Amino acid sequence: MYNDLMTHATAYTCTRRDLLRAAFGGTGSLLLAGILADLSRAEDPLAPRPPHFAPRAKHVIFLFMTGGVSHVDSFDPKPALVRDHGKTVTIHEWQGRPGKFSRHLKKPHWAFRPHGKSGTEVSDLFPHVAECVDDLCVIRSLKSDHTNHYEATLQMHTGSVSFARPSIGAWASYGLGTFNRNLPSFVVIAPHVPYAGDQTWGSDFLPGCHQGTRVVPGPVPIADMTRRVPPAVQDLDLRLLRRMNEAHLQGRGDAELNARVRSFETAAGMQTEAPEAFDVSRESDATLKLYGLPRGSTSGFAWQCLVARRLVERGVRFVELIDVGSANNWDAHGDMDTHAPLAKNVDRAIAGLLRDLKGRGLLDETLVVWTTEFGRTPFNEQPTAKGREHHHWAFSSWLAGGGVKRGIVYGSTDEYGIHVAENPVHVHDFHATILHLMGLDHERLTFRHAGRDFRLTDVHGRVVKEIIA
Amino acid sequence: MPYSAAFLLLPALVPGMDVSPAEIEFFEKDVRPLLVQRCQTCHGADKPKGGLRLTSRAALLEGGGSGPAAVPGKPNDSLLVKAIRHKDLPKMPPKERLPDRDIDVLTRWVQMGLPWPDSAGAATGKFEITPEQRRFWSFRPVKDSPPPVVKDTSWPLTPIDRFLLARLEAKGLRPAPVADKRTLIRRVTFDLTGLPPTPEEIDAFLGDDSPGAWEKVIDRLLPSPHYGERWGRHWLDLARYADTAGETADFPIPEAYKYRNYVIDSFNADKPYDEFLREQIAGDLLAGPSEKKAERVVATGYIAVARRFGFDPQNYHHLTIEDTIDTLGKSVLGLTLSCARCHDHKFDPVSRADYYALYGIFAGTRYPFPGSEEKNRPRDFVALGPNERAYAVAEGTPGNARIQLRGDPHQPGPEVPRRFPEILGGAALPPGAKGSGRLELAGWLTDAKNPLTARVMVNRLWQHHFGRGLVRTPNNFGKQGQPPTHPELLDWLAARFVEDGWSVKAMHRRILLSRAYQLTSGDDRGAALDPGNEGFGRFERRRLDAESIRDALLAVGGGLDRSQGGPHPFPPEKSWGFTQHNPFQAVYATDRRSVYLMTQRIRRHPFLALFDGADPNSSTAQRGVTTVPTQALFFLNNPFVHEQAGRFADRLLAEPGDDGRRVGRAYRLALGRAPTEEERGAAADYLRESAEALGAAGVPAAQRPRQAWAGLARVLFGSNEFVYVD
Repeated sequence: MYNDLMTHATAYTCTRRDLLRAAFGGTGSLLLAGILADLSRAEDPLAPRPPHFAPRAKHVIFLFMTGGVSHVDSFDPKPALVRDHGKTVTIHEWQGRPGKFSRHLKKPHWAFRPHGKSGTEVSDLFPHVAECVDDLCVIRSLKSDHTNHYEATLQMHTGSVSFARPSIGAWASYGLGTFNRNLPSFVVIAPHVPYAGDQTWGSDFLPGCHQGTRVVPGPVPIADMTRRVPPAVQDLDLRLLRRMNEAHLQGRGDAELNARVRSFETAAGMQTEAPEAFDVSRESDATLKLYGLPRGSTSGFAWQCLVARRLVERGVRFVELIDVGSANNWDAHGDMDTHAPLAKNVDRAIAGLLRDLKGRGLLDETLVVWTTEFGRTPFNEQPTAKGREHHHWAFSSWLAGGGVKRGIVYGSTDEYGIHVAENPVHVHDFHATILHLMGLDHERLTFRHAGRDFRLTDVHGRVVKEIIA
Repeated sequence: MPYSAAFLLLPALVPGMDVSPAEIEFFEKDVRPLLVQRCQTCHGADKPKGGLRLTSRAALLEGGGSGPAAVPGKPNDSLLVKAIRHKDLPKMPPKERLPDRDIDVLTRWVQMGLPWPDSAGAATGKFEITPEQRRFWSFRPVKDSPPPVVKDTSWPLTPIDRFLLARLEAKGLRPAPVADKRTLIRRVTFDLTGLPPTPEEIDAFLGDDSPGAWEKVIDRLLPSPHYGERWGRHWLDLARYADTAGETADFPIPEAYKYRNYVIDSFNADKPYDEFLREQIAGDLLAGPSEKKAERVVATGYIAVARRFGFDPQNYHHLTIEDTIDTLGKSVLGLTLSCARCHDHKFDPVSRADYYALYGIFAGTRYPFPGSEEKNRPRDFVALGPNERAYAVAEGTPGNARIQLRGDPHQPGPEVPRRFPEILGGAALPPGAKGSGRLELAGWLTDAKNPLTARVMVNRLWQHHFGRGLVRTPNNFGKQGQPPTHPELLDWLAARFVEDGWSVKAMHRRILLSRAYQLTSGDDRGAALDPGNEGFGRFERRRLDAESIRDALLAVGGGLDRSQGGPHPFPPEKSWGFTQHNPFQAVYATDRRSVYLMTQRIRRHPFLALFDGADPNSSTAQRGVTTVPTQALFFLNNPFVHEQAGRFADRLLAEPGDDGRRVGRAYRLALGRAPTEEERGAAADYLRESAEALGAAGVPAAQRPRQAWAGLARVLFGSNEFVYVD
């Protein structure tokens, strides 16, 4: 409900405090106290800020599959690849080197079939997600600039292939702020660290409060969240601390000092609220079943997805879920069949998340993004090769909810899935579109650093208006 | 708040042009190189095919025999776009269709309306420095003006005060009063050493009523070995120092620490700044006594610690050189030189040729190879002795570099002779020079006539003493930076710096002995009149930086190991097999000062990252100050804080006397002052109530006193008074 306040910039003609007070009807909840306390900070970099225009999505859940998911084995059906399996094609570039290279076509390991009313074809690799295709906008024409994991992962998150830049979640936090100050604005749930390390969710030159707070699935999701002394002792600590700080403020009247006093209040709130947000034990059996999460488990992608919904419900702006780390991932050079267990790890959980969000009416205001750093080659040097190499010329991703058309396919690749044939969507365009759905103009969302204005999309990016509902 | 200035946005348009910066960048980065490489061979200035010149917007619109080459905003109606699509005749380029990306670029460019920056003129556009650019304040020679006359002649203690007061008086402002001695000794001790003063040091200063008491404190602190650990760290921020290489597997560099220690030792020795720079740029090439050789080789770690890129860094060496030039430009000259890698600098008079003239110097330098996923053994380190090596540079194969079109090393343009940037005199290598040019570069940078080197450094010294520089963009003295608030003072300081033989410690004394340094920070009236404190009419309260917070916790707790750090306990080289899939990552515990923590590029040290430590991936001029709840959680629950609090409790409990005396000692150690009567009462209440709460929680009676005292210690550590300096 509090999200609705942000829909129109005109809401800011009265003070945010008044609005929030009106919206909550003066309830004395801890959450409200946290919000009001923090909104009174004149220069709070995390206070909610008006978007550039009415947003379609208030939250993003960004599902990132590490290692490079094969498009021709998942969301981009290529009958010609099946037909011409083993035949040779000539490509004109290999790993950045121009030349003529002969390659053998390789058919997918999974059959494709149409699903839903839309009839969008999805392979048997993702049987559960396939059942949700009528809610998806599948993009089959993504492309990026680099063939290596590190650079491609960095680009999918920051737009840049080489240099550390702010992550898309940090940009969203910077552009829009957040509603619930008892939780971070940008949460990354990652059991392992992906390629490019924590630059992936870094804030770089943006204020540090916008960086992603990494959560490692398990009993202690955020560092230093667990009290090391009895609660009654901590209460005494906080009381004496507040008394000292109030005395210290006399004659100093400093916004930064005030902000730090409040940060302890928020931290105290986080100790209570964050564990609750990460605690799925009170979810119903039906919900757990929807995600495929065994009761009592605090790990696995199903847990990550369910916690993502709980965080969005609690006002977190941007949640990223990373399925696996820089080892044992989708990087199927050796054998495409290694995609199977990775897909099984995420498929049911993702479908559960989509259904759960929809059932609770949250899908309309939450954009779910499913992506990876690149696709995989539809061909190989050796005709007998079981795996596939990196392929950034064309790959697939999908969006759902948050103002995106449902049950459509956008863009296409050539008959073998080697190049984009129609409607290319560069990573910069992908980013511009996500920001647009959040009510942010990617050309206006800038930060001045080292003498110039920086953007997530650098000097590129086109909003793919064709996919917006 | 440090970020408020950052929200100022560039105007949408560059004055005098109707092309936006983004469009300029797009044109220069993507469009122009395409026109030059793929079109102008035939459609250039001389004898263009079909009468069509693609050398300026006007020429393009005028077109050739077949009419205008493009209709702005209408790619589908534009001949150029039709031709490059190869669907209709003519097909251009005739022999081979351009890659999709390039077709995309030109189509978008037509769609955008053919933005073509004025200053670019014809596509052969020559770079010229305008008289206005030459007159820009930072490129003019340093002007040594006498300190101005002030009305209140009793206030200034030193010439610095006269410069500051004259400006305050002109604005009708009065400086804040001088702070009390207790505030001053805490301020200057953290400032010079990054550590809190001990109660004994405070008492000595308070008890010294002689006129030279303040000067005595400064002269006691400057020779402290902890001074170099503090001020060396400021330089390490600028030099983007790290203990790992930053390529995709983030290989460890066990020898990097020698450069770190070199920097610390150099500050402690008050090495003249010009010599310090010469050693870092060309230490291996300097003539001098043989016992200096090893130290000077280690100094070139400044270049060697440049970031490596990719899984195969040798293929991205052009980016490592860019990182070198970027760091050199920002840290020494306050110029964003690397902006000129792909195109002439948009705002400052730095051309692409200037960039590649410097590039040639570093391309002729051999960088050490730290190891990478592809080739996981280090090589090309410099031997210091039979069993010792340094992560340092050496001469490579000298020669000029070619311009890289679009910044792409695979698209070579014309060769440029190695030289210094034109705006700074453009000095060239002497005829017959045989080396890389680093030795000459070291000379150009430290030439007393160079207008930037001294200005940039005195501004940094000022910045760290006062919280802000006279130039508030310490790494950018160019057009996009801020002009100095006190230009005459900046130049006066720069002139004194050179006159003092580039002595950094002499500059500290000049600044610290001023009255301006000794003002209070709490004057609200002054804050309202001069909110940005542009006049330096009061002192700026500051949060301790990450290192000082950790060091103060260790020092007050009593567990600080004050010895100098050596190498890190990295795994042995023969075991290295780091990959992008399993990159090197480690956090090594130590009780030494934070400057000795192992610093990684890909995964930042968790503590330093939490408290706004420097980003070791690029030159950091000024730390950010964020205030986030996860920092508060650190003070509440982090094991390190609890460990120091426990040590502090032990230290206090070992003191003779009663609890009241111990509370007094706790305040004096942690905050540098005695508690008030009210605070004594509150502390006593806390100790009693905490012991009760611990008892109620089942803590055995014998453990309660220590835990209660540790609780009091945590509260003191967490207080604003502990982490802020007035």
